[in-house]
Amino acid sequence: MRDLMRLSITLAVVAVISAALLTGVHNVTEPVIEQREASEYVEALERFFPEFDQFQTEKINGDTFDLVYDQAGDKIGVMATVKTQGYEGTITYNLAVDNEAEIIGIRIISHSETPGIGDVITTANFQDQFIGKDFEDPIEDGEDVDSVSGATLSTGAMISSIRRTVTTIGENFLGMERAAFGFEDLADGLYRGTVDGTYGPLTVEVEFREGRIRAIDIIEQNETEDYFFDAYPSIPRKIIDKQQLEVDVQTGATLSAERIISAVKNALEGSPVEESGGGDN
Amino acid sequence: MSPSNPYLDDLSRGIVRENPVFRLLLGMCPVLGVTGYLINGLGMGLAATAVLIASNVVIAALKNFIPPQVRIPCFIVVIATFVTIIEMVLQAFQPALYEALGVFVPLIVVNCVILGRAEAFASKKPVLRALVDGIGVGIGFTLALGILALVREVAGHGTIMGPDPESAILLFGQGFEPMGLFGQPPGAFIALGLLLGLTNVIFKKFNIK
Repeated sequence: MRDLMRLSITLAVVAVISAALLTGVHNVTEPVIEQREASEYVEALERFFPEFDQFQTEKINGDTFDLVYDQAGDKIGVMATVKTQGYEGTITYNLAVDNEAEIIGIRIISHSETPGIGDVITTANFQDQFIGKDFEDPIEDGEDVDSVSGATLSTGAMISSIRRTVTTIGENFLGMERAAFGFEDLADGLYRGTVDGTYGPLTVEVEFREGRIRAIDIIEQNETEDYFFDAYPSIPRKIIDKQQLEVDVQTGATLSAERIISAVKNALEGSPVEESGGGDN
Repeated sequence: MSPSNPYLDDLSRGIVRENPVFRLLLGMCPVLGVTGYLINGLGMGLAATAVLIASNVVIAALKNFIPPQVRIPCFIVVIATFVTIIEMVLQAFQPALYEALGVFVPLIVVNCVILGRAEAFASKKPVLRALVDGIGVGIGFTLALGILALVREVAGHGTIMGPDPESAILLFGQGFEPMGLFGQPPGAFIALGLLLGLTNVIFKKFNIK
């Protein structure tokens, strides 16, 4: 019994002393770290917005958007601090856009992508292709920007996150609106569309009749299972309910959700694989 | 070959005869993980050395108070405390190095070099000798990481003092295409294997035991 007491007390004393030490060091280093991060952020602001004078912070869905003003008090752009799911963990980055929602700069703050592979997202080579793209651009892999082969997941995550962020900024702070994808005039029939998914193609079949999307079936998918089942079947249901492709994607399965949406879009842009029998109308 | 001074012996043993990397093959995880660039290798070595010296001294000082049944948890807490301190200090004052070393800084906690010295040496010897031992093994570890990192950086990137482009010296000019393999983790195994072979040859030749 006495022995047990001695063991516990020794451990407790060691733990308490170590906790006290760590608290002390933490109190010394934390302000230094915070100050450095803040000054790095201001430096980045000054680099992206040379006329930068002050900013005002807004929060949307957990991401921070700083509206940047010049000395005259005019808004000169928006700097977003965004977190997105990369291949191995969270990627946090700054995205600077001007008043036309044109991308001025990207700065990766922290990431845990594979060294030598996924960390190409930090290179100027990868980031520079976004500069000058704006709200009207698709910012889509293979269209106006490219993912890096071998690091498709890391770079693909960045591409779609940047597209979402530009959209969010444009719609919320710059009074822009995305033209809805119109499909009212399509011929009735069964449409099929395919996009590249996480581990292979994702194919949908869309049944279109009398000006409305009636059904969306996923006939092939190679997504991460958990993410996919977070996105399916809620995304097809939302599209059918709203009869538009601009539906909210839930966080946590953003990539799979967006792929389903673009597969449906891809389907409706093509021609029907089988015309529906005209007997009824 | 037999230094009568025990301190000198403690110091040199960690560097040469019981070099943690080249002779004992301990702490391989950071050895393979962060030796892509010389600066990172040396930074890792110094961080581990700081933890090693501090934990060696504290454990030697506490050895009479710690009951043998709970010595391992106590050692781990002491080591983890110093590692966390180093981590916070690096993050505050050496952010570039902190970024480069990444997860390998917290992993110093489970570096078997440190727990090994605590268990095999510091917990049995007086404080001063534990201090000297920590310095010796630390130098040996840093040296080994430095050599491996130098080989890998020259072969894998064609530079010295990278990755910061301002300090990086291009050894073979702009047109040189380095052997990228050596910059990757598999290249670390190959480079380490070659260096182990080389040290074995040298040790045999000079008959060091």
